[in-house]
Amino acid sequence: MKDAVKIRILQGDPIVHDVKNVVLPERYRGLPLIEDKLCADSCNKCAVVCPTNAIKLNPVSIDLGLCVFCPLCEETCPESIIHFSQNYHTAVDERANLKITSEVKSISPQMTSEKIRKYFGKSLKLRQISAGGCNGCELELNALSNVNFDMGRYGIEFVASPRHADGIVITGPLTENMANATKICYEAVPNPKVIILFGTCAISGGVFQNSEALQRKFLQENKIDLFIPGCPPHPLTFINGLLDWLNKSK
Amino acid sequence: MKSLEVQNNQCFDRAAIQFLDRDDFRNSVSELMQNNCRMIALTPVDVNNGRKIIAVLADSSSSMIHMVGGDFREGKLEFESWANDFPQTNYFECELSENYGYVPLNHPWLRPVRKQNVILKNKPYQFFKLEGEEVHEVAVGPIHAGVIEPGHFRFQCHGELVYNLEINLGYQHRGVEELLLKANQNQRIILSESIAGDTTIGHVFAHCNAIENLSNTQLSLRAEVIRTIASEIERIAMHLSALGGIANDVGFALPASSYGRLRTLAINSLAAICGSRFGRGLFVYGGVRFDLNETIINTVVENLKIINDDVREINKYLFSSVGALSRFEETGIVNTNLAKSIGLVGLAARASGIEEDTRINFPYGAYRYNPISMITLATGDVFARARMRAIEIEETIRFVFDQIENIPQGEIKSEHGRMAANSGVVSIVEGCRGEIVHIVFTDEARVLSNYKIKDPSFNNWYGLSLALRETAISDFPLCNKSFDLSYAGHDL
Ligand code: SF4
Ligand code: SF4
Repeated sequence: MKDAVKIRILQGDPIVHDVKNVVLPERYRGLPLIEDKLCADSCNKCAVVCPTNAIKLNPVSIDLGLCVFCPLCEETCPESIIHFSQNYHTAVDERANLKITSEVKSISPQMTSEKIRKYFGKSLKLRQISAGGCNGCELELNALSNVNFDMGRYGIEFVASPRHADGIVITGPLTENMANATKICYEAVPNPKVIILFGTCAISGGVFQNSEALQRKFLQENKIDLFIPGCPPHPLTFINGLLDWLNKSK
Repeated sequence: MKSLEVQNNQCFDRAAIQFLDRDDFRNSVSELMQNNCRMIALTPVDVNNGRKIIAVLADSSSSMIHMVGGDFREGKLEFESWANDFPQTNYFECELSENYGYVPLNHPWLRPVRKQNVILKNKPYQFFKLEGEEVHEVAVGPIHAGVIEPGHFRFQCHGELVYNLEINLGYQHRGVEELLLKANQNQRIILSESIAGDTTIGHVFAHCNAIENLSNTQLSLRAEVIRTIASEIERIAMHLSALGGIANDVGFALPASSYGRLRTLAINSLAAICGSRFGRGLFVYGGVRFDLNETIINTVVENLKIINDDVREINKYLFSSVGALSRFEETGIVNTNLAKSIGLVGLAARASGIEEDTRINFPYGAYRYNPISMITLATGDVFARARMRAIEIEETIRFVFDQIENIPQGEIKSEHGRMAANSGVVSIVEGCRGEIVHIVFTDEARVLSNYKIKDPSFNNWYGLSLALRETAISDFPLCNKSFDLSYAGHDL
């Protein structure tokens, strides 16, 4: 008993109280900011080095749905136009909003429909499906339940059975071998239900986009509610994305 | 000697491999295994020519790697299986068969490795089945209860006791090896970081060692040390994560959450070094992308100090709890002989009394100059695998402090040249679970002709199967956590 108390005291108060305004390490790469400067004539260095084809030119834009935050483009640009900020608020509800141009200084999801907020605003239970994820994304989702992030305090939790869930969170590029299980699991979730894509792999296939072992039909056939970019995304990106989306962040 | 002998990370000429006829090939490989060599790969040199294969064997006592070539250009793709005498080759033969159509004759249990709906001997693959009274089958997965990777488990039970557990994987297969052959060098690094996202550094370390040695790139000592520090922090993080899981699986909430808190400090240290909590972006060919400065060193040291102090208390608490010990001890045993014969590697092997640690047996990077101690335990049960982690965390922190104190000055990146033509290299690294192997070959155009990866989980999943025999099915989660294996690393 004495030892238990001692360990509890060592534990201290590890929780992140204000999830909105955390200062992440200096080298953390969050939302990229693109300066409104002209590129040198016919320069395409950033687009060439990008491992996932996330960059389009004239004007420069980065698709966060493809980006793996490596950060070769930032390093390569001779004009230092691209700069990764520490801003981890990068979740969106529309795929197109992941396209970052020099005009975009922040992104966030629109508040969801009244119906969804009425159903899930107080309690949202999610079933996670790993479909080719490398376990980076899975570990960050697991971290959401640890004593630091404690997502349960917002009424958002992962559950074992899809029958008890209000939606699914997909990680990984959706492998052929998981196509069937993904579909079955989603069908087992009662209506209304949501789909959240966590990580670059799930959003676009990322570094695996050209693999022949993928089967991403499921994503075309269903409406995606929330996109959480990152490789892997920071747990705080997930929490804040959901809070904004459910209109729970005060 | 009919095999080519090389050291870890030694670039060699492809032409130096002798390709023997099938009988000679088989006998040479058997002979090596008789002399205590372990198989670490069975694969072609060139993926477009599956008829010329090599068996790669590691000899821990001499730190040498042996390569035996087999020429199957004439006749059928068949050879007499080694697996009846040397069970460690069992799964390697299955993999070769699945990928290149070989038939290992008299193989005891040919089964799918990563493919689904496999036809073997003209029949769809059937799971192993137990028959008789009071026998029942439990099937779990691919999707499991928690936030975890997918895999399918079939238990053949008699009452509460498991007679056989068959583990069927491949759900995470996304074609990493194929993609690596097609990728440019920027993509190759990202792909290697994504082989197993919990062992990002282990795999990218093996990858960079391989490519750098193919192109004769020398690293600065500083870069080597930064890599090693990162790799050891990854080990601390994963060991803490596994200990947390183990405590959680016996319903012991306080240690579980405490280990989780400490793990956050470990991965946040990686984020301080390179921005990513998993060490992504740190490795580049020729060194590292980010240098250590005083602020970062202070953060890392501070975090590790807390881990070091707190983890001792938590370990003491966990390992003195009678309730926890009664669940850990004599549960899921893999004894030394069994572990040897099935070729267990890494932490699980050391927990079963096998002195096997790549950092010591096949030193690379900074481990060549700064040794780390070999730690083994004898009992091979859940207790040993849990305890191993606790002890390794302490030793690892000592090692990291030592590295930080004596960090060499200098550049962090050296010029990286072109890969040699018609060459090969075997790169072995001790990831947090054990031996990671990357075997890379180039052709005359200096293009990769084969890239073979072996994650420690490839060897160790079978260990979990055997650990479950005659064990209560309710102990499965605990046994599983004590191995803490990677699906993505196995499935590739
Ligand atoms: S940081 Fe993103 S956009 Fe830039 S090169 Fe890397 S993957 Fe491409
Ligand atoms: S997005 Fe990155 S971390 Fe997540 S599964 Fe893909 S490769 Fe792994």
